[in-house]
This record gives sequence, structure tokens and C-alpha cells, in this order.
Amino acid sequence: MKRFVTEAKLLLIGIPVAIWTLLPIYHLFLFSISSKDEAFAGKLWPDHPTLRNFGIVFREQHYFLNHFWRQFGNSLVIAVAVGAITLGIAATAAFSISRLKARGGRAVLNCALFTYFIPAAFLAVPMYKAMSAYALLNTRWALILAMVTIASPYAIWVLKQASDKLPFELDEAARIDGASPLQLFRLVFLPLMAPSLVAVGTYALLLAWNEYLYAFLLLSRDEDITLPVALGHFLSADDSPWELLMTTGLIYALPPAAIYYAFKRYMVAGLTSGAVKS
Amino acid sequence: MASVSFNKVEKAFGSTKVIHGLSFDIRDGEFMVLVGPSGCGKSTLLRMLAGLEEITAGTIAIDGRTVNDVDSKDRDIAMVFQSYALYPHMSVRDNMGFSLRLRRADKREIETRVARAAQILNLEPYLDRYPRELSGGQRQRVAMGRAIVRDPKVFLFDEPLSNLDAKLRVQMRSEIKALHQRLRTTTVYVTHDQIEAMTMADRIVVMHDGVIEQIGTPLELYDRPENLFVAQFIGSPAMNVVRGTLRRANGNAHVITPDGIRWPLGASSAADGQPVTYGVRPDHLELVAGSENGVPGEIVVVEPTGSETELVVKVGDAQLTAEARGRASVKPGDRVMFAIDPANVHLFDQASGARLPS
Repeated sequence: MKRFVTEAKLLLIGIPVAIWTLLPIYHLFLFSISSKDEAFAGKLWPDHPTLRNFGIVFREQHYFLNHFWRQFGNSLVIAVAVGAITLGIAATAAFSISRLKARGGRAVLNCALFTYFIPAAFLAVPMYKAMSAYALLNTRWALILAMVTIASPYAIWVLKQASDKLPFELDEAARIDGASPLQLFRLVFLPLMAPSLVAVGTYALLLAWNEYLYAFLLLSRDEDITLPVALGHFLSADDSPWELLMTTGLIYALPPAAIYYAFKRYMVAGLTSGAVKS
Repeated sequence: MASVSFNKVEKAFGSTKVIHGLSFDIRDGEFMVLVGPSGCGKSTLLRMLAGLEEITAGTIAIDGRTVNDVDSKDRDIAMVFQSYALYPHMSVRDNMGFSLRLRRADKREIETRVARAAQILNLEPYLDRYPRELSGGQRQRVAMGRAIVRDPKVFLFDEPLSNLDAKLRVQMRSEIKALHQRLRTTTVYVTHDQIEAMTMADRIVVMHDGVIEQIGTPLELYDRPENLFVAQFIGSPAMNVVRGTLRRANGNAHVITPDGIRWPLGASSAADGQPVTYGVRPDHLELVAGSENGVPGEIVVVEPTGSETELVVKVGDAQLTAEARGRASVKPGDRVMFAIDPANVHLFDQASGARLPS
């Protein structure tokens, strides 16, 4: 009985939260399967659901969608690059600070934390100037470097904390077994950090995938921009094609969901169990 | 196989000195145990030998070669950690072969050596398991296997049995000893457990507060402790000690405690009136029926263990432990006499704690 009451309470909270969260997504979906006329009819389900919108988007048959695949590709390349580079920086930094006890590691960490006192938006203009100085504006590298800069401090911080939890005897055992620091990094540190690496890599990748402000500032040619910026352009017309905007949005939301499901199983704890007696 | 020598080795963490100029040698093939209470510096000393801690001053040599500036991996040593420190993402086979793999040994060679070590340690059925799928004792054996595979000059053990339960500890104790008798590799073994030290060692180094109190074979330490610390640290139950004054009367010497008890003594070079600490081991307190030449006591607690009986007795103001073979027919409250053979008495200077020659 008591259990029933607890579950009922949880349901009472859970159902409204689920509706609250899913309603916009449902709306997104509804627009994407409605024709232009029906989209604003205010129905819970369109009279004539259609996949025509998807066809238009995929075949780039609209003024705003002229570079859809190109822009989708831009988003993908930039997000993957940001994820990979951030991981590389954060993993090596965490390894040297936490495992090799590099001199000044503490200061680096404090700096990393300090960057979060400054909102990313404040740095937008300085970043624009910097990219302009290095002649990187309108290249993918501009956005990649900017996003890596924003993602790295947090990534380093998280990986350092996770790395501190690995038993130090493992490093000592490996050193006695004959491992150089690089071998230690590759053969012991990385495999044991896999769950955290996946989590942090996904974080950086999605951060870049979803970024609007920096993408808008640093990239301007239609062929260079990422999809979020392209979506923003839809609103510049008097008569915005909402159903296409929503369809593109829905397509754009799918890869993150796929990534989440693909990597979910790696994000489990307990991989280090059995290393040392705790 | 190799000898190891420590020469005036010092270690300081910041301004705190934890090891104060230690010098001793470990012979080729010897099983040397470093023992002492926690914080005595024994683990630090081992870690310095392993190359995991810097040597502040002095030198450590393996096989005559000074290793102060030699990397751990080039010292040709293998270490077994208290926490086992197995690589959790590798199977038992890969754990044991890891060091050879790092040395780029031939695959077949790795296979043979791992198989041989697994056979020695009865690990063959577990080669493809992961550490998390093993029991504590099995993990301990894998940790040892990882060391054996290397065929190193020196084995280092850092309290390897502390994490095991009592029964397994005794079993692993004899396994390690048997392993040493088989391989005859020079071994340095750190423990805080004096029973482990006594049962396993060829020789023991007793350490306390960063200095060596005594080095010797287990029985040397037991029979002739050089000072009060060793006397009380080695042996279980611990040696009984009372503080008193040495008295000489017509060629006979004895120690008298403030409560008026006279403790028998053989020949002693100590001067009349010298303050001394009088020590006698529990198994040398012999229960006798009304002897003249003994000390009177009152039984407080009787603890039978089956093969012997431990008695807690009050003698004067002191509470002592006596160990009697077999069963004792006494009960708490009984007034009894204990005979002490003067040959089994240990006498220490009260100020310095050093053994007084008899």
C-alpha cells in the first residue's frame, strides 16, 4: 500500500513533467507532417498527414534550404571536430594534472573554473576579433576553435575529478611493469576513463552541434554556416515557411538523440571494479 | 637474483625527516622482512627501493649497481601491492603478461611464461577472467603472478596480506614462503604484523620512527632483543616488563620493584642500585606449586586456547601474562607462585632501553 502511494505520487509528478517536456516536441512533429495550410489549424492531428515536407528539405527545394546538406555537413564536421579536440585536450590535461602531478596543475584547474565566471556571450566579440586577426573568419576552424575554448575548461575539470578516483597504485604498478608515461596514458588511463571520456566527448559534441551565437558571428556565407544559423534565416522572411522550419528542426534534433542511445551503454560506472580492494 | 644494499639512506618529506640514515644489506636469495608499527618508514623504504619515491640522501644498490637515478622500470624489480593494483580492464592473462608486452617480448614467449606462472600459482582456470570476477585470494595470486612472470632480480611485497581474512592470510603466508623456497629470488617484504615477519623471514629488520632497532633472524630477535622496543614488538603475547632497581647481595643479584616484589636474576654486569627494566616472556613464567624462588601472583583471567592456556595474573602492582602448556587447573582468584629461570630474563637500561649484558 505504501509502495502504491509512493508510486502514485511519482506518477503525479512524472506525468505533468513528461507532458511539459514532450508538448513542444509533439508540436515540432505535428508541423513537420502538416501541409502549410493545415499547420496553423490548431488540430491535435492533421486531417491529411504528409511527408512532403521531408521531401522538400532533403531535395533542397526551397530558397532557405538551398544548402541544407552542406549546412548539415558543416554542423556535423564542426561538432565531431570539437568533440574530438576537446577530448584530446581534456584527457591529456587531466592525465598530467591528476596522474603525473604536473607542476602548476592546480593553477590550471583554478583558471579553468574561473572561466565560468565570464558568460560565453561576453567573449563573443573578443573571439570575433581574435579570429579576424588570424584570418579564420568564415572558416570551420573559427567555430571549432571557439567551441573547443568554451568546452575545454569544463571537460578538463570533469575528467580531472574522474581521474582522481582511479587508484594510484595502478600507475605505480604500471611504472614498475615498465610503462612510459605515454604507455600509461594509452594502455591504462584511457581504457579506464572510457565512460567519462564518452560523457565529456558527447557533451562537447552536443555543445558545438547546438551552438547558435558563435556560429552566427563567426560564419556568414550561406555555404559555411551551420544548420542552427540557417534555421534562424527562415525567420527573416515576412512569410516564414514554418512547416519547413519545423521539419528541418526535427531532422536536426535526431542525431543528438541517436548519439545518446549509441553511447548510453558506455556511460556506466563500475568499470574499475576489481582493480583494488576498497 | 641479486643482493640489495642500503647505505646511509635518508628520506624527508619537506622538512619532516622520516628515515634517518639507514644502512644494511640484503643477501642474494634472502627473504628479508621489514617490520615495524605504522609510520615507522618501512613502506617508504620499500618504495624508495622500488623507485616510487626519491632518495633524499644516501644510496641504494641492487646487485652492486647504485640505482638512485635509475627508473623503476630499469631496476629489474617486481612489486606486489597491498591493494593488488590489478588492471581492471585486462584479463588475468593480460595482467600477468603486461610487463612483457611493454618490453615487446615475443608473443609465444609471453604465452609460455604466463602459463608457467599460472601453473605455479594454480591460476590456470582463471586466465581469461577479469579481476572483478576473482576472490581476494585469487587477486592476490594474480598480483604475485604478475611479479613472477617478470623473473626479476628482486621481489618487493608491500603488506600483501593485509586485505585478506585471517584464514586466507595464513594460507597465503605459507604459499609465499613456499614460492620463495622454490624460486629463491631475493625478496623484501614489508609488514606491520610481527607474526608474519617471524614465520616468513630469513632475517628481519625491525624499524621504529625511521631508524633500525635491530636486524637478525627471527629467533635471534626473540631470544636476544637488543632493546626494549624489539623485546615488546616481537613475540605474541608480548613480553612482560616491570620497572625496578637492581640489587646485589652476597654475589646474588635481583631486581626489586617499588611494590616490594623480588624478581630473580642471574649474573649481571649492571651496577647495584641501577634503575632497570626487567623483562620475561609469557612462556617463561612457569606455574609452580609453592616454590621459594618465585614470584607470588593472583590469577585474574584464564584464557584456554586448547593447546595452551593464557593466564592474566597480578603480581604486586603489575599485570602480567603467562602462558602455560596444556590445560591449567587454576581459576580466577587463585593465589599461585611463578618460577622464573634467570637464564630467560631480559634486562634493559631504564633510561636508554638498551639491553644490559648478562
